[in-house]
This record gives sequence, structure tokens and C-alpha cells, in this order.
Amino acid sequence: MTAATALKPAPAAAPRSGARLLVSTLERLGVDVVFGYPGGAIMPVYDALTGSGLKHILVRHEQGAAFAADAWARATGKVGVCMATSGPGATNLITGIANAMMDSVPMVCITGNVATHLMGTDAFQEIDILGVTLPIVKHSWVVRDPADVPAVIEEAFHVARSGRPGPVLVDLPKDVQVGLTSEDFGFHYPNETTPVDHAAIAEAEQLIRAAERPLIYIGGGVKIAGAVQALRDFAGQTGIPSVSTLNALGSVRTDAPGFLGMLGMHGTKAANEAVQESDLLIVFGARFDDRATGKLNEFAPHAKVVHFDIDPAEIGKLRAVHVPVIGDLTAGIEALNARVAGAPLSIEPWIVRSTSNARRNAFRYDAPGEGVYAPALLNELSRTAGDSFVAACDVGQHQMWVAQHCEFSRPEAHLTSGGLGAMGYGLPAGLGAKMADPEAHVVTVSGDGSFMMNIQELATLRRYGVALKIVLLDNSSLGLVRQWQELFFAENYSEVDLSDNPDFVAVAQAFGIEAFMIDRRDQVTDGIARLLAAPGPCLMHVLIDPRENVWPLVPPGKSNAEMMHDTRFEGDM
Amino acid sequence: MTDTLQIHIDRADGSLQRLIGLVERRGFHIDAMSLSDEGAMRRVQLQVRGRDAGRCTENLGRQIDKLIGATRVGCAPAPFAYRDSVAA
Repeated sequence: MTAATALKPAPAAAPRSGARLLVSTLERLGVDVVFGYPGGAIMPVYDALTGSGLKHILVRHEQGAAFAADAWARATGKVGVCMATSGPGATNLITGIANAMMDSVPMVCITGNVATHLMGTDAFQEIDILGVTLPIVKHSWVVRDPADVPAVIEEAFHVARSGRPGPVLVDLPKDVQVGLTSEDFGFHYPNETTPVDHAAIAEAEQLIRAAERPLIYIGGGVKIAGAVQALRDFAGQTGIPSVSTLNALGSVRTDAPGFLGMLGMHGTKAANEAVQESDLLIVFGARFDDRATGKLNEFAPHAKVVHFDIDPAEIGKLRAVHVPVIGDLTAGIEALNARVAGAPLSIEPWIVRSTSNARRNAFRYDAPGEGVYAPALLNELSRTAGDSFVAACDVGQHQMWVAQHCEFSRPEAHLTSGGLGAMGYGLPAGLGAKMADPEAHVVTVSGDGSFMMNIQELATLRRYGVALKIVLLDNSSLGLVRQWQELFFAENYSEVDLSDNPDFVAVAQAFGIEAFMIDRRDQVTDGIARLLAAPGPCLMHVLIDPRENVWPLVPPGKSNAEMMHDTRFEGDM
Repeated sequence: MTDTLQIHIDRADGSLQRLIGLVERRGFHIDAMSLSDEGAMRRVQLQVRGRDAGRCTENLGRQIDKLIGATRVGCAPAPFAYRDSVAA
């Protein structure tokens, strides 16, 4: 990593505590929102927060703090910050930290800890949080001297956002928080730029020009790198069709010509078939996740691979790469754009074939029955909300329906727990996203199983008057697990029944939040209008058919060529 | 197939744990290890073996290169050179 340059120390001042240095350093770094929950071992930090420029959002569970900070980071492109006390407070952050790690989200997590002389003695609320989180952070520190606080915090921010972003952890023992120091050094971390490898770009161009069936495979790295416009320029000027991972949806508009949809387990038929037929995959910031590839050795069997990624460890990790282009995606794609400009490709038959396949296999919303058809509701919701629509998804069937059926104009509009698949993400993520972008139509789409995992954050919505809208798709079961049990476990529905769910409307109202229920198809349009027009937070409880499944589906362990479909539309698909 | 990795790593909290954990988590057995002082850094020599045929030591090396405070200085199928003992 690039060496930091020491800036001149701040003017001599009265000695300050580590906690006050933490707060002033966060202010100096431009942090304005911190999500957290206090406790014994971080009380000096909370004492120092009073009167500072930091807006602290008191969540009701530390996991909510981590998820909210994660979504805030995804929505703003800045570093999210969350904090918790030692022991149980710190361990409650863990799922949120792992979530950020899996999806490369820049986040700084600050934990209190017992005093250094007590560390390692099994003191009250002590846990080796540095050891516990080692596999799920990009880096971590235990600060042992208050004078080190500014430097460590600044390095933490630098590490979190540089290169391939990720979460970092800073553990502050209590004696470090209260210890006094006159030191206040700042550090400056220059932006690291990897020079574009023009030889690799030239090789990539050669492969692209030689290909008859090239395909763009878009990953979440495109958004992270701020390479959306460069990608859109590349897709636009070459005409090469594109497919997207779950995390990259919206990188090209989902209604753009040539966009074939999401690939993988619940991807579109057009996307998966294009991948299987492709003779060249141009991969931008994707990691060949198993949910995207299906059976790996049958994934894109005829394709050579050009792989753009900032993380060298992703090159060849799961799939052999013919041309790696390592470094900043924006610079890499722009360099490629310069080479392909002005000399069109001759791939018209491939474009016609893949896009007509997409039209022929477009999703249908005319499923029989009078009950609410969730895919149709979600499609209508995103179209009604328009380009300011932001979906903060939970995990399960509804998450896949959002990915399949919502229209997205930008990648920040789709917030989802992609890599980790953490139930409970949706509500706190919606909170963080709405705080980051108050003007947007931010909608948490949740299921009855997921919603219960962080339902306490309704209180946080109420406290801060965050006008988040919630669509709760209730099928009285753990729907995706039930679907797998139906299809792959001989309909042995083991422990997925949630028919004793609470009255969610009454629950929301008890938290002081407007709520209403719909259960018929003819109520959907009015329901969406009421939800979006509500001045404050609002929950629409939607009863759906528990037998509804997510289609298409690539069975586990199978190739993406072996998709199962909704038999109601058999013959038309 | 065993390979020997030479790694320089700093003395920060958890750095050794971070390195060893990474190697095991990425699917490698550590058959031998030595540790020695080298100025402000520690020099770690690891003899590793993939848990299955799909594990590529070069990829493990790239993962190690990503660790803050660690630098991989080499990877070779050369015999493991034992140092004094596992001590630092």
C-alpha cells in the first residue's frame, strides 16, 4: 500500500482523550452519520459524541447499525460508520461486517473493549473481537495508545475505501478512550492509481474483434469503481449484449436495449442461454460466484474470458482467464472504449439472436387467479416510483422477484445482500439508504421471515421520522426454503411454516407507523399509490399465495443450461 | 504437491493469526512453518499443500499479497529450509 505522509500536527492544545480524538478525527474525515448502540466499554466515546458534528443514529440492535451503515455506504459511495460496545455489542455487528466483506462495501466498525490490562482475562463483556472478525474484515486494529487514534482511524478509512473496498474494524480499549494525549497527527493518503495495462487492453480488443458472440458480464465492481458511464459507453458503442449479476443490476438500465437480464440460478432464460452460447465473456468486476455460474465446469463452455478487476486475487480464482486487465475499472474500460471507437463490430446476427430471445422469453404477469401476484406488484411498484426508485431487499423469494421484475435506472437503486444473503438486511438497509437519499422513493421489500429478524428497527424509523416505505410480502413461510423442500426434498416441509406470524399491521401501528394490508390483485394499484404518497414511514402488508415459487430456477449443482420454468406458462416460454 | 511460501509480515496485533487463518481458510494444509526476526518484520516460511486438486498456490499467494502488512516474497516447490524453531 502507498505510504502515508505525515501532516503537520494540529496546533498545541490541552491534552485530549482518545475518545475525543476519535470524534474529532471522524469530523475531520467528513463523517456526518454514525450508526450505533452504546454500552459500558464504549461510554467515553458516547460521552465525547455530545455536542459534536456527528449525527448518531441510535438503532435497536447492533446488527441494524452495521446493515444501515452498509446501505448508507452503498447509496452514497462514502465510507459507512458503525459502532458498538465490547463483547455482545461487538459480536452483534458480525453478520453486518461479513455482509460488507462479501459485497466489498467500505465500512469502518468501531468497537469498545475492556481496558488493555484486562484483555485476555475473560473480563465482563470481553471478547477477542479482533480475533473473531479476522476472516471477515479487510483489516483490523487494536489501538493501544490514545496518541495513535487519529492515525489509525485515518488509515482505517483509507484501507476501507481503497483498492477493492471492504469493512475494517478498529477496537478501542476503554483505557485508550479515556487516556489523555497532546498528540494529534493527521496523515494524508494519496490516491493510488494503477497504470492502465495498454498491452492487455490491446489483447482484449483483439479478442473482442475476433469474437462472433461476445457478451458483457457485469459485476458489482462496476458500481464500486464508479465505472457505470464507461460501461454504458462501451455497451452502447459496441452493441455487445450484456448480462448482470445480482449486485450489478442497474449498472446498465434494466430497460436498455441489449440488456438480457440477470444470469445464474434465478436469472433470465435469455441471459443464461447467451452465456452458454457466448464465445467471449468480457467480465467487468465480477467474481464468478456460484449463484451466477451454476456448475462451474459447464459455465460458458465455449467462451474465452477477458477479466477486468482491481483485485489480482480474483484473476483465475475460479475460471481460467485469457486476458486479465488488473486495475481501476473506469480507466480500463475507458481505454478499451478509445480502442473500439469508430470501428464497429460485425456481430449483428448475435445481437438480433440474443435480444429476440430476450423478447420471446420476457417475464409474464398474467398468472391466473385473483390473489396478489408478487412479480406483477413489484414490476408495477418500480415503474410507478420511476427513476428515483430504490429497493432495499431482504433475502428470500421476494429478493429474487425484485431482481427479476423491478426496473432499475442505476446500480445504487438496488441494495441487496448479495454475497452473504443475510436475512434481516432489508429494514435497516432501507433506513440507511433513505437517510442517505431522502428524496428517493426508498422501499424495503421484505418477506415475513426476513422482516422478523430486525423488526425492532421500526422503532428507529419512528424515532427519526425516516419516511421509508415497506412492502412486506407475506406467504406465512420461509418461502425459498419451502420451495427447495418442494422441489428437491420430496415436499418434506420441515420447519418452514410461519402461519402464526403476528398481525404485522398492528405491530407497525404499535410502533407508531402507518400500515395497511392488501390481499387481492385489484388492490395493488391503489395500495402502491397510498404507500408512495404516505408522508412518513408506511408499511404495506401483502398477503400472497404460499405456494408461489420463483421461476426460472437452475437446480443446485446443475448447469445454467438446465433451467426449470413456471409450468403455468409452459409452451409460451 | 507442496509449495514453500516466503512471507514478510509486520508485528501488528493479529498479523500472524491473520496469515495462518487465511491459508487454512483458502483450503491449504500447513505442513511446516518457521518464523524468524528480520528487523521490524517477521519472516515466515510456510510449506503448504492444497486440500484438493482445485487449490492453486499462486492464487493463495495473491490472497496473501492482499493482507495489509504482509508481503509474499516467493513461492517455489523448493525444499523447506528449517530455521531454528517457531519463535519470534
